[in-house]
Amino acid sequence: MEQPDAVIHQPVRLKIMAALKGLPPGEKLAFVRLKAVVQTTEGNLGAHLTSLENAGYIKVEKDFDGKKPRTRVSLTKTGRRAFETYVAFLRDILDGQTNATAAEPVTMGAD
Amino acid sequence: MTLSHDEAESALRAVAEAEARSLRAYGYQQASPHLLLWGCLWILGYGMTEFWPHQWTAIWSAVVAVGLVASFGLGMRKKPPKEFYSRFAAIALTAFAFIFAVIAIMAPRSGNQIGALIPLTVAVGYALLGIWRGPRFYISAAVIAALTLGGYFFLPDHFNLWMAALGGGSLVLVGFWLSKV
Repeated sequence: MEQPDAVIHQPVRLKIMAALKGLPPGEKLAFVRLKAVVQTTEGNLGAHLTSLENAGYIKVEKDFDGKKPRTRVSLTKTGRRAFETYVAFLRDILDGQTNATAAEPVTMGAD
Repeated sequence: MTLSHDEAESALRAVAEAEARSLRAYGYQQASPHLLLWGCLWILGYGMTEFWPHQWTAIWSAVVAVGLVASFGLGMRKKPPKEFYSRFAAIALTAFAFIFAVIAIMAPRSGNQIGALIPLTVAVGYALLGIWRGPRFYISAAVIAALTLGGYFFLPDHFNLWMAALGGGSLVLVGFWLSKV
């Protein structure tokens, strides 16, 4: 791969993807917890989640826990693949195999 | 925009940090309801032992049985992987085997000694977990161990009441603390 995925390349989105990848497969992370893990503001996190959701990399689910509304986020299979590819790309740079420029967002279908 | 070696290195570091923080938060989230459960059971078990010390075998058999069934139920809530059953059984068997082996070898002469041994064993478990999975587990272990030793050495006449109030109460507080990540 010569060009990194520009959707994941943004630092906050990269952290979001890494945080979700750190969970066991199929697990969801609550919005408030994700905010604490990524260490960003609610508005900023919301905007980046929308970008990742539009790219089909994450799934955002809104429901109720009793009477309390909650938002939970999980990685899609497409997102997991894209993230692994991006990390492999970064490792290639460290190994001296790639010299990269950031690309336009890679559009992939949602799961 | 060119991605340099340093930028790639820094991005990989950010990835590793975010993954570790996420896994830590997930571990706290998973452990929290178990600590709340066992905190309530300690309050009940030690509280009843204070008032009916001669019934301690029946009291703790019932408390441990309820705790194991409820812990198993909590673990089952999230469609666990198939290893969950064997790991749960292995953890319970290991803990029982260790505690019974220590009791058989050391032959404790008082209920307080057994009452202190079990929370200290739990504390060791959480300390080991904390070394790998997050400092809050380690801090919780240190608090449980300190309270147990404090009650055992300085308040032996009301050790069970001490453990019910402060030992069980601390577990409940730690459970809430872990849920707030």
